[in-house]
Amino acid sequence: MDPRTLIDTNFSIGLPAPIWFIELFKALGFTLHEVPMNLWYAGILLAMLLHVFGSEHGRRFSARLMAQMPIIIALGVNFGIVPLLFIQVGFAPLFYPATILMSWFWIAVIGLMIPAYYGVYLYAFGLVEGPSMAVWKRTAGWISALFFLAMGFLFANALSLMENVGGWMELWAGHSVHGAALGTALNVADPRLWPRWLLMFGLALTTTGAWLALDSSWFARCESLEYRVWAKRFAWRVYTVGVAWFLLAGSWYVFGTWSEELKQEMFGRSWIALTGLTIMAPLGPWFLLLAASRQEGEISQTRAAFIGLAQFAVLGLNAVSRQLVQHLTVRPYYDLTLQPTAVQWSPLVVFLITFVLGLAVIGWLIRELVRLPAEGKSETA
Amino acid sequence: MIFGTRLRHSRGLDGLPVGSVATHSNHISRWFIDLRRGIFGCRWAFDLAPKRFVAPVHEINLPVRFHTENDSMHYPWWYVPQLTAPMLIAAISVIHVLISHYAVGGGLFLAVETTHAYRIGNRDYLAYLKRHARFFVLFTIVMGAITGVGIWWTIGLASPLATQVLIRTFVFGWAIEYVFFLLEIVSAFVFYYYWDRLPQKVHLAAVWIYGLSAWASLVIIAAITAFMLDPGTWPVNHCFWAALLNRQSLPQIIARTGGALLLGSLYVYLHAAITVRDQKLHGLIESRATRPALAGAVMIAAGGALWFLNLPASAQAALLAAPVLNVFMGLLFAVTGIVCFLLILGPCLNPGWTSGPGFAVSLLFFGIIGFSTSEFIREAVRKPYILYNVVLGNQIFPDEVARFREKGYLQSGIWTRAFVAKHHPDAIVNGRIDTKRLLVLPREKRVELGGVIFQHHCNDCHAIRLGYAPVGPLVQGWSPQMIRSLVNDLEHTRFTMPPWSGNGDEAELLTDYLTSIALDRPAGMLPERIRK
Repeated sequence: MDPRTLIDTNFSIGLPAPIWFIELFKALGFTLHEVPMNLWYAGILLAMLLHVFGSEHGRRFSARLMAQMPIIIALGVNFGIVPLLFIQVGFAPLFYPATILMSWFWIAVIGLMIPAYYGVYLYAFGLVEGPSMAVWKRTAGWISALFFLAMGFLFANALSLMENVGGWMELWAGHSVHGAALGTALNVADPRLWPRWLLMFGLALTTTGAWLALDSSWFARCESLEYRVWAKRFAWRVYTVGVAWFLLAGSWYVFGTWSEELKQEMFGRSWIALTGLTIMAPLGPWFLLLAASRQEGEISQTRAAFIGLAQFAVLGLNAVSRQLVQHLTVRPYYDLTLQPTAVQWSPLVVFLITFVLGLAVIGWLIRELVRLPAEGKSETA
Repeated sequence: MIFGTRLRHSRGLDGLPVGSVATHSNHISRWFIDLRRGIFGCRWAFDLAPKRFVAPVHEINLPVRFHTENDSMHYPWWYVPQLTAPMLIAAISVIHVLISHYAVGGGLFLAVETTHAYRIGNRDYLAYLKRHARFFVLFTIVMGAITGVGIWWTIGLASPLATQVLIRTFVFGWAIEYVFFLLEIVSAFVFYYYWDRLPQKVHLAAVWIYGLSAWASLVIIAAITAFMLDPGTWPVNHCFWAALLNRQSLPQIIARTGGALLLGSLYVYLHAAITVRDQKLHGLIESRATRPALAGAVMIAAGGALWFLNLPASAQAALLAAPVLNVFMGLLFAVTGIVCFLLILGPCLNPGWTSGPGFAVSLLFFGIIGFSTSEFIREAVRKPYILYNVVLGNQIFPDEVARFREKGYLQSGIWTRAFVAKHHPDAIVNGRIDTKRLLVLPREKRVELGGVIFQHHCNDCHAIRLGYAPVGPLVQGWSPQMIRSLVNDLEHTRFTMPPWSGNGDEAELLTDYLTSIALDRPAGMLPERIRK
């Protein structure tokens, strides 16, 4: 059966935004989401390992990261709404069938997220107990780490299944009753699933490494110089492992699972620059970290800021390339660029105004925080 | 205003002039509609919209077409045994509503009370508010945010077509709401984590930013959920503002704001009862929390009345006719009355009563029952629609019904067609399903095909033999003729049912299936027992 017949392409309510706008906010939202998501994805596991096996500084970093984690998760969940919204705007005919086929697993993300989130809070509250932290609080941290990895697997499943239209029929036939999906399918037979999942973990390690450098330089002024020097070197190590992982999993993904057509497109004249940049981009922050680790003393704030920005660019390039690969993979079944539009200009303008004003308010709040004295002299007591 | 004049002469979906659709509506609602037309007017949106949406309303023949000629039933259906998939939406929504309203009411409470505590210089009260803020952040930021995302998850799984319509219509509504959500998170963290570090002015600004952002979120979401009950003129003009400022928006905003204030106070009572031992401080908290609670109760009553007066006729009729809704309405009135009575009896007349957790728990318990009941009613009165007059409960557009009847239900559905193609390829003639060939299949195959139709046509609202509104017991003891008659005349048998959307052959298949799941008439009932 032709998989194209499984996609509803006749929805006549036009796209409410220009296609470039949908693409832009989907990629921008995903990039913003990737920063905190990477930190909880690889960071929590790393923090748990360091707490058990790490040096004194390693345990210190573990505690610092886990103390920050509740806010990181809150922001990550918030930023994740943007790509989720725009993927449904642009790719509903692919997104809904894919997630319906694996409904129970997809909805399990919510069931995993709540205990994982509270587990992080429990662990963070337990940090005040120091090394004598209660076992059940440490266990909560480990459970959170594993749950976030499981959520990553489920996300990789849903998003790869969205592109695996050719596999829908078999999954549906094997997981349905009276033609209705049981929601018990997983896209595990898709060779793209595993490298995608692993690739994201490698990328998450690099972000964690970059964050370590940024945190030690900008937010850890109260820590000892030894810690900050250690952090600089350890950041490079984590980043190195992340880059190696990223390149290995990425090679598997690209050369082991991409179709010839996709390779021709991505390595062709049109997109070779983007593909090359996406592959090579992690080397930028890696070199910056390498150079920093070779120098005496702690990492400078300027260099740390550059590392942070370079890592954001890495994630941005990754998001753009993912989006392009998604387009090219699903194009035989569904072409977003051919969808009719009925742009809602006045709501769009109101949104942009609200967005700018909202950012201004957030900027003002952050400015007020930055202006606070380091020791937190209270004016409210 | 030229366009406004056009609208006044236009016709709504129910055939009444739009301006007088709500012949029973009150002055406030009319003012709201005028505001929508006069200030927002949709004129701008129309002028910039593609040609096909520019036509004045009175030039469009109803019903509006949502789909092209080649359309088909859109998404796979998710079978959730016993419960039915949409009930998962209800389950998560109720949990979310109980948290999100507290996130608004509690946020406004914290804003007002922190301002008050600073003004009177009450350190104990400030200390309590900080403790409450910790609970508030832990509860609303985690559970509120995740269950909110959970609603996204479940509506996409259980009602994908309606979700697609909502997202295409309100993407910028949600995007604006998202900005407020981001503001909520940032300001809540700033407010709590920097409690003793920020200058008073900035600290208060943070909590007010939170409170107002949370309320702004409520306004947008309430308007979108109101659209589900009354899309206004959107079906004919596809105008965002017409959709957002529908007749149900204002009543629901008032009622939900009141609900948020009331629920916020009920949470405060319970939190204070558990954490505050100082009677003087408790008395202060109680008296301060009672004001928004009473104001909220008044707003709920006002918003509820406006909601009822502005309901579509079918929703009003459903409220009066459906036994379960009768019971729930009675329950809603009862628990709302109990909450008001307890508020007056306790905090107003006998200050100190809420210092005992028992009384505070009772108040919150009845409040939760009231909230959950009202959400159930709000969802149920839309039947047979998911989006009133836009998407039917069985995941198709109303204007598709006639074509589905002509072409066949199995043929018209992507996944039903795939099922027949896979299991009964002989029934495909010239690329189309010949339903006559399905009728001559062995009975178990016909029952299976009837099951396919049942899943896609009926399972949205009905379990099979056991669970939520199961059909087996509903047709208990019915003859095949009675079932066939029901299938062919669904929407006339009950106006809350969607119209039958298949051809005659498929009605036979569904009849076979329903007959197979119908329970036998219970034994031992008179007069059959005597006859036997």
